[in-house]
Amino acid sequence: MKRTEIIEKLREILRAADDRNQDAVSACTEQSRLVADLGFSSVSMLYMVIAIEEEFGIRFENVGAADFQTLGDVVDYIEAKLR
Amino acid sequence: MKRKNAEKLPLFSFRYLLYDFTKLTAALPGLIWLRPKWIYENKAAKKRLRGGYLVIANHAGFLDPVYVMAAIWYRRHRFICIKDFFESKAGWLFRGFRCIPVDRENFGIDTLRQISGALKAGSIVSLFPEGHVNDGSGQMAAFKSGMVLMALQGNAPIVPVYAMPPAHWYNRLRLVIGEPIDIIASCGVRPSFSQIDAIAGMLQEKEEELKQRAEATQRRT
Repeated sequence: MKRTEIIEKLREILRAADDRNQDAVSACTEQSRLVADLGFSSVSMLYMVIAIEEEFGIRFENVGAADFQTLGDVVDYIEAKLR
Repeated sequence: MKRKNAEKLPLFSFRYLLYDFTKLTAALPGLIWLRPKWIYENKAAKKRLRGGYLVIANHAGFLDPVYVMAAIWYRRHRFICIKDFFESKAGWLFRGFRCIPVDRENFGIDTLRQISGALKAGSIVSLFPEGHVNDGSGQMAAFKSGMVLMALQGNAPIVPVYAMPPAHWYNRLRLVIGEPIDIIASCGVRPSFSQIDAIAGMLQEKEEELKQRAEATQRRT
């Protein structure tokens, strides 16, 4: 799966979850910072991890809410898991 | 509410040796000293809990886990507590009580899996959603919304409990137990972020209601 496809799927997940921040989610890129730009809390971060696990069929291991800084970090992790 | 995943643990289990020993030896002195009064929100709240439930309570002091254990005395509780306690000299106590450690700075997916696994296995998991002992003013701190995610992942209803410790030696400990709240039935398995926050707010309001109930019964006596 290409990085662009992964990020598009992430946007879909976030659009469904984050009903308060639709504009920022639609415009998000790999450089978007999860906390500063998308307003994520530790709960929203874990929510996203659960949704990704279901969507991509992967399992996150030893990952905490503070381990990802940008959306690009999440894409890197998914890409490595899918490889 | 009938729950399928009732805890299958026998009456005696080595895993809960310290927990059961402490509970048995402390029960009589605790009953004499605190003279707990159980107050139920309604008939549904009075029903014995079977299976996995997430119990939430106010946190005004370090004896609160004891009060929560007394509120639902017939079940074993697995308390969620901060990782630092496990690394302290009293770490053996928290391990012996089969508490679940959480890293407040970096709440991990593995911890969430451990909690949801315990709930799915039919255990009672108890936590203080304020996240810390409150300032003692009588006001509860804002509830953190992580409990909603735990209940969703563990497919478990939430039971609110309010413990009002005795203000004087002659007062009784008042324990108000609310009706279990099935959040999946009201918002589905994948609510939005704002719904999660709204549920956390609703649970805090419920705790406030239980608090008023405890205060009202104290005034009457």
